[in-house]
Amino acid sequence: MRELLPSRWRASLQGLQPQIVLFFVVLLAVVLGVALVFINAANLKIARTQLDKELLIGERVFGRVLDQNSRQLIQGGKVLAADFGFREAIATRDVGTIESVLRNHGNRIKADVVMLSDLDNQLIASTLTTLPPGLLYPFADLIGKAEQDGSASMIRTVDKRLYQLVVVPVRAPITIAWVTMGFAIDDKTAADLQALSSLHVSFAGLTAEHGWQLYASTLSAPQRTELLQILAAQPGLPSEIELGNDEWESRIVSIGEQGGFKDYAVLQRSLSEAMAPFEKLKRTLVWLGIGSVLLCIFGSILIARSIVRPVKLLADAATAIRDGNYAYPVQGGQKGEIGELAESFTHMQQAIGEREQQILKLAYEDGLTGLPNRQLFNDRLEQAIKLARRNKTPLCVVVMDIDRFKFVNDTLGHNLGDVLLSEVGQRLQGLLRSSDTVARLGGDEFALLLPESTVADCLPILNKVQEALREPVVLAGQPVDINVSMGVTGFPEHGDDGHTLMRGADVAMYVAKRANSGHAIFDPSYNQFRQEHLSLLGELQRAVESDQLTLYYQPKQHLRSGEIRQAEALVRWIHPERGFIPPIEFIPFAEQTGYIKAITHWVLERAISQLGEWKRNGLSLTLSVNISTRDLLDPGLPEYVSACITAAGIEPAQVCLEITESGFMDEPENALAILHRLHALGLSLSIDDYGTGYSSLAYVKQLPVNELKIDRAFIMNMTSNKGDEMIVRSTIDLGHNLGLSVVAEGIDDPDTLVMLKELGCDYAQGYLISRPMAAPAFVEWLAAYKATADAAM
Amino acid sequence: MAKCPDWQYLAGLTLGLLSCAASAANLSAQLTDMNGALLDDAVIFATPLKGTLPKARGAIVDQVNKEFVPLVSVIQTGTAVTFPNKDNIRHHVYSFSAPKVFDLKLYSGVPASPVVFDKPGLVVLGCNIHDWMLAYVLVVDTPYFAKSSKGAARIENVPNGEYEVRAWHPRLQGVFPVQKINLTDAAAPLSFRLPLNQNAAGAH
Repeated sequence: MRELLPSRWRASLQGLQPQIVLFFVVLLAVVLGVALVFINAANLKIARTQLDKELLIGERVFGRVLDQNSRQLIQGGKVLAADFGFREAIATRDVGTIESVLRNHGNRIKADVVMLSDLDNQLIASTLTTLPPGLLYPFADLIGKAEQDGSASMIRTVDKRLYQLVVVPVRAPITIAWVTMGFAIDDKTAADLQALSSLHVSFAGLTAEHGWQLYASTLSAPQRTELLQILAAQPGLPSEIELGNDEWESRIVSIGEQGGFKDYAVLQRSLSEAMAPFEKLKRTLVWLGIGSVLLCIFGSILIARSIVRPVKLLADAATAIRDGNYAYPVQGGQKGEIGELAESFTHMQQAIGEREQQILKLAYEDGLTGLPNRQLFNDRLEQAIKLARRNKTPLCVVVMDIDRFKFVNDTLGHNLGDVLLSEVGQRLQGLLRSSDTVARLGGDEFALLLPESTVADCLPILNKVQEALREPVVLAGQPVDINVSMGVTGFPEHGDDGHTLMRGADVAMYVAKRANSGHAIFDPSYNQFRQEHLSLLGELQRAVESDQLTLYYQPKQHLRSGEIRQAEALVRWIHPERGFIPPIEFIPFAEQTGYIKAITHWVLERAISQLGEWKRNGLSLTLSVNISTRDLLDPGLPEYVSACITAAGIEPAQVCLEITESGFMDEPENALAILHRLHALGLSLSIDDYGTGYSSLAYVKQLPVNELKIDRAFIMNMTSNKGDEMIVRSTIDLGHNLGLSVVAEGIDDPDTLVMLKELGCDYAQGYLISRPMAAPAFVEWLAAYKATADAAM
Repeated sequence: MAKCPDWQYLAGLTLGLLSCAASAANLSAQLTDMNGALLDDAVIFATPLKGTLPKARGAIVDQVNKEFVPLVSVIQTGTAVTFPNKDNIRHHVYSFSAPKVFDLKLYSGVPASPVVFDKPGLVVLGCNIHDWMLAYVLVVDTPYFAKSSKGAARIENVPNGEYEVRAWHPRLQGVFPVQKINLTDAAAPLSFRLPLNQNAAGAH
């Protein structure tokens, strides 16, 4: 069945609307059908009962009517018989007159047969040619009855016709003759009786010569024939017979007897006639049913539609929302639950729309400056590139970074740093065309997208940017100078895609920053540098994890005693493919990325555990470890070092942390706090590369350091350069005056060593004494050195 | 009946007186039905086989209170009968009987002329207005007749001689029973048992 239906139908039948319609229509049809069946059965029963009743009543009415008829006829006969002229004619036995009188008076009361017989049952006159005067009167029994009762009435056949015969005496004043009047019982009589009794009436009788005869009837000719056949077969006549495809409730009533042969009246009513009013009712019911089913279909379609249509609209609205169309009109006007749902839908739609706007804003807008963020900038860049590619037009990308922003942020606080950033953003935005985009990429990094500009076109804009930022920003009442470094790439010459252009601009920006040149236009040669750095991070991580890093140790010679009491631990990266990678290639990068923290931890842990190992071997040294400026911002550092020292079982004083001068410049307060904590642990602290920074001695004086390490730049040329010699000398003096020991590094030749000795420098470090060595080599070297020294002594 | 003068008796008396010269006797009879019940209004009459008869005298049939009085009259052939109407309404007296067919159309009081019954036989009188009114007039060819009362009838002063004595009753079926007698002074009473129609059809 299911397979026979086209799928379209099946689908439409599974919809809400057809189901609702089908349900109501089937329900109604079933109820109506059942009702009709029951009503029909009840009707049939009622009709039969009523039929029986009607027949009973009809029979009674029939009897009464016959009786009344005969009484009327008798009355008529009596009136006739009392007529003086009539009596006179009879008395005078004037046959001609008698006959004419009989006819005349018979006509008066519409008798069909009139006969006169004398007291000897001799016919005196007769209107029947078959019974002429002189013959014996055939209904002597009637006269006998009339003698007794004064009159008599009976139904008899005469000449194969059925008559109601009435016999009355003619008195003058004693009975002198008998008048018999006959009234033919014909179809009209039957029809009259039917009108009175509302039953079909037939008169039938059994005759000696012809068997069953039907004298009169209200039935049709074929029904008469059938009735006769049934009477012949079943003279008693069953109460229910079938005539002409209809069922008839029947009664047979004896109405007269003649020589042993009876005459009957058959009273009938057809079931279909009795059912006729019910049939009408049934038809009405059927039409009512059809009408109400149609009405039901119509109504349920309407109702279903009123449910389904809004649901469909809501479904459409939901689809529209799914597709991101929040302006889809959810139609109003509906009342009730659907209306509420539609309203909720509208609210939901608006809410989703607003939230999406917010999300988009969050996704594409920088919260601080209100500028597009990196995501949106990249999107626009991609769009601009597509357009430029199609139109064969150039475009420019500028990446800029605020110089020393970190310093501002650290010294003035984040809030003011944010103010600075938004001020920069505002100024940048004021400079640009509407087609240009300025975005904050993150941190202090901004970017400009300049469509339809060549790099050359872009240069005046860069100047305008510098010009706009020249005006100091006033933060907390302090004017702050802003300097930016900008890197520029141009499409299509520097790259074909957004990623390349951005990376190129970034590289150029670093170049500019390093060169302190304000801006730099990308050059393909920058790429090498940048690419190496990019791959570095991953490799560096792997290096730490797989012990590609190792520590080399460079001894520091105590100049006065010549003893080796200290060494510096230096990290070395032995790359499995590239071999040795110098620290200058990855340390700055690690500092930039923040990975330096992991490296520092690794170095500290390794150096301290090495100290522990040496101590267990009877070797007591002080090891210097370089700490990045970033490490001084790590509040967990002192605890980490302390834990390592405890684990190694060495003295805290055996560990010296070397910090570059610049390390104190970013967030100096935090850095100082950490330095104090390290100092408190008992660690030695040393200022590395002293002389290259701008730190004043007054500032250095505040630091909890034990040692100054003069930058190699001064040492390398001190023997030939008087100025450098002066710096070294004064630095040594200064250190000593502050109670610090002074270390010189980068000592390549004996003259320098001699000079340093003369200047009173405490420790010397350099290739002259030894290159940095791996731990085993260092231990061997130390043993050999000791042996030589001992030998020299 | 007792109230009105009995002309028949008077006539009989006169007859008897007239025949006294020869010899006369009373003829009595008992009249019963077949069951022996004594009959009223039964009639006997004796017809002499020879000799002449006296002339007939008049007779009266009254209509009183919408009835004929008397119910049964016996008269000699040739008697003129008057029908005085003693009611204050009209009557229409008629007869379709063969011995005398007549009708006296709507009249009151005494009709102008009496009706002469000139043939013997039974005449049944009716009134065309009042169907129930009925009277019998038996016309006989003899002046010797009598009506019964409680079964007894007596004809007085009947001259001796041979007679045919007949009996009749309104309800009599069939022919009049007849008895031939030779009347002498010592004649024994006659007895008639009459076959009567049990139906009241003949009567009212």
